[in-house]
Amino acid sequence: MDNSVKHLLQRLIRRIPASMLKSTLDKWGRLTAENRKSLDFTQSKWTIAQELVSICEESELTVKHITELEMIYITENPNQGMWHTFQLVDPEDDAHSVELMQFKEQFKSHLSELKRNVSVKIKKHTDEAVWIRVAWGDGLSRPNHLKATYVVHYLQTPYVFVNALSSKHKPLLLQALTLSTKHQQIKAANLSGQKLTALRDLLMRQYQQVFPTKYPSPLPEKLRIEKVQAEASANRHRMAGETFGDGTLPALQSAVFQLETKFKDPTNEAMTQRDEPFICSVKFSSSNLLESLRHCAASGIASTPVTPLLSSIPLKGRNYFVITDNVPTA
Amino acid sequence: MEGASTRGVLSHLSLLEVQARNRGSQVPQQPSRVKELKAKVEALTSQRDQLKAELQIHKKLQKLRAPADKHEEDGEDEEMDIDSKSSELFHLMARHSELTDLLHAHNLIGGYDAITTNGGKGMCFSLATEYEGVYLDTYNLELNLKPKVRISRHNIPPFIPLNSLAEQSDLQTDVGAFLATVSQHLNAFAGRRQQLKLVKEQHKSVEVMESNLLCSILVLMFTVPKDKTPLLCTLEYTDHTRCLPTRVHLNCHDKLLPDSPNWKKNCSLLKEVPVHRALMAIKKDSDIV
Repeated sequence: MDNSVKHLLQRLIRRIPASMLKSTLDKWGRLTAENRKSLDFTQSKWTIAQELVSICEESELTVKHITELEMIYITENPNQGMWHTFQLVDPEDDAHSVELMQFKEQFKSHLSELKRNVSVKIKKHTDEAVWIRVAWGDGLSRPNHLKATYVVHYLQTPYVFVNALSSKHKPLLLQALTLSTKHQQIKAANLSGQKLTALRDLLMRQYQQVFPTKYPSPLPEKLRIEKVQAEASANRHRMAGETFGDGTLPALQSAVFQLETKFKDPTNEAMTQRDEPFICSVKFSSSNLLESLRHCAASGIASTPVTPLLSSIPLKGRNYFVITDNVPTA
Repeated sequence: MEGASTRGVLSHLSLLEVQARNRGSQVPQQPSRVKELKAKVEALTSQRDQLKAELQIHKKLQKLRAPADKHEEDGEDEEMDIDSKSSELFHLMARHSELTDLLHAHNLIGGYDAITTNGGKGMCFSLATEYEGVYLDTYNLELNLKPKVRISRHNIPPFIPLNSLAEQSDLQTDVGAFLATVSQHLNAFAGRRQQLKLVKEQHKSVEVMESNLLCSILVLMFTVPKDKTPLLCTLEYTDHTRCLPTRVHLNCHDKLLPDSPNWKKNCSLLKEVPVHRALMAIKKDSDIV
């Protein structure tokens, strides 16, 4: 095993939390029962890594197997790094019948046509997600497995989630994805975050949305003043729920509003005469932004009906907005 | 909407229209023609009188009917000049015409549960799905009606191509057709998904090799009893409005097996019968383990 592969393995072991190491290695299934028994997980990570390196060398495991281990770890723990969402547009007539084998072949062939020396691994997860790992090399060098890009896509949906993609490789990856899914274009979907599961649940609508029904829950009978308050509160709760959803919401962690606005104080000519607009960025952060915003609306901190600036987050499935003086591009 | 009397008038009017068109082809015979016309005048006069009477009754009924969207405090109790016997009858007739209209409206919008939202500027439809008598998921779709009909919120999964379905049926003029298509796609999807669930539950000896979110493709691995040969069966559901596959394809090391009469019969069966039930039959015939 050459040094770069050893380094890859060591870095991977360092990356995997100690509590998950045993189960991840078991899922990998590349170690013999004997090897697995011999590994002492109470030792320091460094020691475990060294032992694993020698085990892997003995079993003649290659970089292919190490990257397999990395993929297993990331697939089971996808909420790390920064995921960016893209949306496929203009499907061709047969886009809806693209199936896994076809997609795999097409993606690999398109990508290797666009760039030599890429190492591609594609695997379907139990929830139908297609996971792709790309290690990029160029004409002269071998693929760099230390900085691999991960892509997650559910066939027959327009969304693609990407992690660790450099701007240099972006056009190549996006083109290969567009062609292999039989679409004509792909664009940024303006939804990013650390938690892949939150982005996915938001876009796939896998959370409890609330829709207006004929049968609103009855108000408890109370004194008139309390009743008015209770009604107002119930209304706020209802509107907040309809906007954001019920129960546990996808754990989106931030939203960014980029404002481009001209200075508007008529008494300050020096500033109003500036041609360029002011650019101001407002970022909301939370461990669960959607639940926080719902609470703001329900408690009256944010006015209801909820402003489109905030309701656009779940409605459009985005968390990056550019707002100009004329029209908010939401 | 005015219930039975309106439908009667409209259909009568169209009948007159047809007759007017046909009249052009008839050779007018003067004396019998006059007699004919006189008879017609009489018939129409008596019909007019009948309609007038019906209109009167209908007006009284309208006053008796509960206003659908107003609060009860706003209602007025008008003095009715009807005696108690016929007042009960009137109340029943009022109720009947109310329900008929409600049913008519319900049918107009395709039989879906719908409510107006946003002060009448929007509507929210509930699309239920069911398969083999079991209610499955319900999906919701909100439409904004003004200034144009547009899809607003919904919880329909993204592998149902809502936007392209909206483009195909003209959303501005025929919301019913659009909803019908969406409901068709949703029900077919729910049916296919349910079949996959039942295959996994009822047929543990069959391995599901591949499926997708839309449940438009299913690859199953059978084990043929003789020699425990593996047999790969691909079911392609290319028509997403249906629960049955459009194409069934077999793959086996033994090249002759797929062409055997038994398996040709099984392939046809898989195209005609839902997969979980087809597998029962195939198992019964001992074609698979």
